Amino acid sequence: MELNRRRFLQVGALGVAAAIVQTCREQRDRGLDQPSLIATLGTDRVRELGAHYRAQTPNESTVETLRAAIDSNRGSRLLRKSIDDAVHDDFANARTVLVDGWVLSITEARQAALFSLSHPA
Amino acid sequence: MHTDARTLPNGSVLEADICIVGAGAAGITIARELNHTPLKVIVLEGGGFEFDQKMQDLYRGEIVGQPYFPLQAAALHYFGGTTNHWAGWCSTYEPIDFEQRDWVPHSGWPIKRADLDPFYTRAAPILDIVPDKWSAGDWKNGDSQRVPLLNDSKLLWTKMWQFSPPTRMGPKYRSEIVSSPNVHLYTNANVVEVVGNEGVNAVQSVRVRSFDGKEYSARAKRFVLCCHSIQNARLLLASNRQAKAGLGNDNDLVGRYFMEHFEMPCGELALTRPASTATKLYEFTKLGGTPRGEIATTPLAQQQHRILHGTASIEAGNYGDPVLSTFQFLDTLTLKQQREWEASGRRGPPPSSKGAASAPSTSGPARFYHLTTRQEQAPNPDSRVTLSAEKDALGVPRAKLDWRVTDLDKHSMRTFYQILGAEMGRTDTGRVQLKDWLLSDDKTWPSFISGGWHHMGTLRMGTDPKESVTDPNCKVHGINNLYIGGAAVYPTAGAVNPTLTLVALALRLADHLKTLT
Repeated sequence: MELNRRRFLQVGALGVAAAIVQTCREQRDRGLDQPSLIATLGTDRVRELGAHYRAQTPNESTVETLRAAIDSNRGSRLLRKSIDDAVHDDFANARTVLVDGWVLSITEARQAALFSLSHPA
Repeated sequence: MHTDARTLPNGSVLEADICIVGAGAAGITIARELNHTPLKVIVLEGGGFEFDQKMQDLYRGEIVGQPYFPLQAAALHYFGGTTNHWAGWCSTYEPIDFEQRDWVPHSGWPIKRADLDPFYTRAAPILDIVPDKWSAGDWKNGDSQRVPLLNDSKLLWTKMWQFSPPTRMGPKYRSEIVSSPNVHLYTNANVVEVVGNEGVNAVQSVRVRSFDGKEYSARAKRFVLCCHSIQNARLLLASNRQAKAGLGNDNDLVGRYFMEHFEMPCGELALTRPASTATKLYEFTKLGGTPRGEIATTPLAQQQHRILHGTASIEAGNYGDPVLSTFQFLDTLTLKQQREWEASGRRGPPPSSKGAASAPSTSGPARFYHLTTRQEQAPNPDSRVTLSAEKDALGVPRAKLDWRVTDLDKHSMRTFYQILGAEMGRTDTGRVQLKDWLLSDDKTWPSFISGGWHHMGTLRMGTDPKESVTDPNCKVHGINNLYIGGAAVYPTAGAVNPTLTLVALALRLADHLKTLT
């Protein structure tokens, strides 16, 4: 198969773009189980809150279901909101949940649950 | 003028244009307003000028229903009344507090907030606070840290408190009353019965009795009962020789709708950015100290969520520390120190609050804050004062208090904290945790519900005699010359302490009485 210069650049650019997207997604996904809440409440309390959330929401108690739930709350794949925006929007639109008495955004509650799975005590 | 009523001969008859029964915040305010007028005024105060345990015991009563503070500890029975131990917290009722709210049964005053505005202005100097300064901006004091939280919120705002020194109205206004040319104060003059005329449509006299068995009476054109919400109701109910159910009680309303303010630790606040979040506006410094703010629900939040009016104080503390209500820590330690400080002629700095004991133990800006609610309770006809079978030393049946709460009370508190949590989260100011007791259903309460020691209702104001005891001028329906001073006439409790509004209403009543003569 003949590969001219133009074709070579196109394929190369697509490859780089795919790699960037993949890297960003991995970074973003790594952030899913690192809730900002940790800075406010500390790792132990967030881990406890995560365990509470999983106990009170049995259908969101695995890594896969939690990642899917968080992502579904962040819009379509291409226009996905940042976690911070998702948390803000949750609070602004009454998507809150009581976990051990704390009023949390549904996104950060799921993040806490993910954290409790990926960082057990 | 002043006379110790114990020196009067048995069977004496006192005569006046206006007879005021009780010399607490309402009675003293009305008496001062009538000072230097052509009216002949007598003030009958049950106690003397100092605390007397025997006199105080007349306020002891029976508690049924919700557990409550001992009645003899909740109000003081001597000249100056409960201002002799109040903590001086002052704030105005909001316009919505006067409105009929379709989600709050039995709500609605027959007057509006605007009707009270000029009287709030006049009441402020009586209590040694600054008139008409009730916004957060009024108390920034040039300090960039004294700014309200949640400034863009439509659901929450910062309601300001001012702190009276606190004004002890007994010592402060005693000489003015005693030296008055037309107001005659009688101390140790306990009214035991209000006596109606033949048709029981006007008061003819009040009967006064002393511990040694002597009796006197006072006749006047008009009478104003300013005894205190529970004692006013008790006195009318006990005046039952002519009207079996008690005076002014044709519709079985006297004593009903007793209300308190809930003052309960309800949650914790964890700030997201403690170093850059200004909370100074919310600090409680000391009795009589700098005005402070509390987070309150807006009328929109109350309407949208169909909840009662409440506020939350913010006190820095360690997460999980036990929290006493504001009044509790003031009462147990600071009030004692305050009294000692006052007794010593106010030498040295005034005592600071025990709140400092709950300050965070770590250095640097606090991350955790305790949230304590102040909330009205829904008017409830089953929450009431009746007469006990037991009588006091003067032969008057004691009060029996059946304090009751409603589902709306707890529902409102929980909803308020959920709103607060959502707004703190939306602005990323912090996160809020509700206390365990608040999470359970609307009917389940802690074993003891903490109140503000505020007694309201019992002789509620309204236009319809079938739904109220007093009219918009605080006159008892059906009794042409009997008026009520004090918080007994409040149809709803508002979110804040009652004293400033009580003094404003007393001024309004005094003005009304002056127009009649």
